[in-house]
Amino acid sequence: MSGTPSGRTPTLPAPPAFPPIDGRFVVDGTRPLPGAGGGLPSFVAEDRTGRLAGLMAVETRPDALPRAATLGTPLGDLAGVLVPLAHGPARGQEGRADWFVVCPAPPGPALWPEEAGSIAPWTEADLLRLLIVPVAAALEAMRLRGLTHRAIRPGNLFRADAAAPVVLGCAWATPPAYLQPAAFEPPYAAMCLPGGRGEGSVADDIYALGVTALALALGRMPWAALPGEEVIHRVLVYGGVAALAGEARLPGSLADLLRVMLAEDPGQRPPPDLLRTPLAAASRRIGTRPPRRAQRALSVGGIAAWDARTLAYAIARDPAAGARVLRSGLADHWLRRSVDDGSLAVRLEEPLQRRQNEAGADDAGADALLALRAVALLDPLAPLCWGGVAVWPDGLGTALAAHDAPQLPALVREEATAAFAALRGPVEEAARLRQEARARRALLERRGWAGGPARLRYALNPLLPCRSRTLSGAQVVRLADLVPALEAAVARRRPTDGAVLDAELVAFIAARQDGALESLLAPFADGMGSPRAAVMAARLLGRLQAAFATGPLPALAGVLAEAARPDLDSWRSRSRRAEKAERLAQAAAGGDLAAMVAVLDDPATRAAEAAEWQEAQAAAAAIDARIAALVAGDAARTATARALGREIAAGLGLAALAASGVAVLLG
Amino acid sequence: MSGVAARRRGSGGWLLGAGAGALATLATSTALLGGVLLAPALTAWALDPSPQRDLARPMLFCGLAAALGPLVALWSGGGGIAAGWALAGDLPTLGLAWGAQAAAWLVAEVAPLLVELVLAARLGRRIARLRAERMRLEEEWGVPPPAT
Repeated sequence: MSGTPSGRTPTLPAPPAFPPIDGRFVVDGTRPLPGAGGGLPSFVAEDRTGRLAGLMAVETRPDALPRAATLGTPLGDLAGVLVPLAHGPARGQEGRADWFVVCPAPPGPALWPEEAGSIAPWTEADLLRLLIVPVAAALEAMRLRGLTHRAIRPGNLFRADAAAPVVLGCAWATPPAYLQPAAFEPPYAAMCLPGGRGEGSVADDIYALGVTALALALGRMPWAALPGEEVIHRVLVYGGVAALAGEARLPGSLADLLRVMLAEDPGQRPPPDLLRTPLAAASRRIGTRPPRRAQRALSVGGIAAWDARTLAYAIARDPAAGARVLRSGLADHWLRRSVDDGSLAVRLEEPLQRRQNEAGADDAGADALLALRAVALLDPLAPLCWGGVAVWPDGLGTALAAHDAPQLPALVREEATAAFAALRGPVEEAARLRQEARARRALLERRGWAGGPARLRYALNPLLPCRSRTLSGAQVVRLADLVPALEAAVARRRPTDGAVLDAELVAFIAARQDGALESLLAPFADGMGSPRAAVMAARLLGRLQAAFATGPLPALAGVLAEAARPDLDSWRSRSRRAEKAERLAQAAAGGDLAAMVAVLDDPATRAAEAAEWQEAQAAAAAIDARIAALVAGDAARTATARALGREIAAGLGLAALAASGVAVLLG
Repeated sequence: MSGVAARRRGSGGWLLGAGAGALATLATSTALLGGVLLAPALTAWALDPSPQRDLARPMLFCGLAAALGPLVALWSGGGGIAAGWALAGDLPTLGLAWGAQAAAWLVAEVAPLLVELVLAARLGRRIARLRAERMRLEEEWGVPPPAT
């Protein structure tokens, strides 16, 4: 690194401080609150207005986004829940910039301390009075607001003391159920990518509450040593209570209650309102029939399927093997002969027929689509399964942000959500999802930096910070914050290649803008390969500078002015080039990108110069021709000079003769 | 030389010869004096290959200018052959006539060179102006230099 002329290293400007979140909440990164964030780092937060006390700020992860829909909903005073109060950027531990969700701090410790293998078992009475009833009341209040919690587990439930009712912890700083262990989610959510579990329904919260009650009643988690895949498989095969409780004995009434709370079908689980009277909920009868069990297992991808549900799970885990089993007719034969479910086999014929008609034998995408349709038909409760991963359609956006799985873009490209909805949802919902799938595919397949996976990721996640490395870690979620952050980042570290925009930045701008910048984004279809890249960047950033009144941007302007030199050289006239270079330098010094663009992007003058250039070429050609003609006339000039000289001599002689004659006549 | 010019020159020579013969017969002293005083010019006339007698004409004009005085003196004095011989033998008269013709010859030889020098200078100035204009276009517009 080169130093200053004096040999001292220049002092870098300090990273910018963030204003209080929502104008009032300040995060104290030096005062952590261990265990309060439900698996995420949390710190003491203060309300500058003094109206609220005992607050905490939960630090989010860059890849696990806070729940934008919930944070955008006014929750009011929900009892029994650490409701989100505000969210925004702040500096946490060691001054690191991050996005925080502010909510009340827990009233006491978590029910299950971190790393604890077991706790003292709760009595049935305590479970009902302190856990199930108050949590059911809170869930009912949330349901009325159209919300779910999706983070109910012993480590994220708190109480002030042993006699106090339980309070639901913060569930807003990650995607729904992102941190939930597999056992605390219904198998159809647990089998999904953690970031793709979707908002779900209150029935999912009831399930999680039931598993929590089971763990507290036992004082241990019998499934703790099992991998998540095994837990899911066991729950699918044996049912929730049998799979999770194992050999443990539960009191009769509690066992009945947990059996309905952990029912496989969400529709069979008691609503939270009913759970407020647990005895009534426990007496609820489960109306679904157990699946037909086959006489012999069908092995798919190493998983032995004994019924249609486990076959669906096996196909979901290994869709290539599943497609082979389906296309070979083995699954059809097994369903008819071993499971004795001819109607299900008939339903599977339609996607098989479509697969044979629509694509060739080696089309992996068609096989994935076949597997998706087969899973949806075999198990109507299963999520969207594609290429070995599973997501719920409303969790696709957060999944794209959280996971770098190649199956996800492929899923969008094949409009798998539309195919899934066509088999699962009501007609209106299917139509909506089909339109949504087409729009997402269009974004994904759009060429250049304004499209592709990055654009889709930002479009589906309004709280996803820009991931450009140029920003040097700054938390930029809103378009209005982008240009100042970029200016600060460029001022701290000037890009050596002059490129201030990259694919992430362009995709972020494209996703966050309201359509007014489309024409400016169109040139980025070919990335930054264009020789006018700096002008394109200045034009786009200049528009943002004007739209958000960011003030002067001298660092950005300086870099762009330097990068625009090749464009300046494209002006043919030297004097015009010099004049524009001077004006560009003035505009750059003033940090005015729009003025820079006006200097560089001058179509009227360009057209005039093109005409002038033609004239200059014609004039040069005319001069060349004139000089050539003059040089070629040298011989003629010699003859002319000779003749003229002789005539002059003759004239002189004649004049002498005339003078002599006059002299003679005059005497 | 074209045939027409040759014929014209031939007829001119014939007329000149006839005129000279008539002059020698009718005015012998004048012819004698003129022939002596204009001998260089007449010699140059006879030897000048150019159709317009570019070299001989100024010599003849200057010779006639110098010879006009002695011829008038001859005709004023009666025009005898002796007077003609006397005037032709007068060295100042002869020197003036022949000197004038020599000067005319010199002028006829030098004048074309001088004129050519003047014209070349004018041409050089024009080409320099054009080249300067072209250089300005090259510098301003980046027009490629002319192919050599």
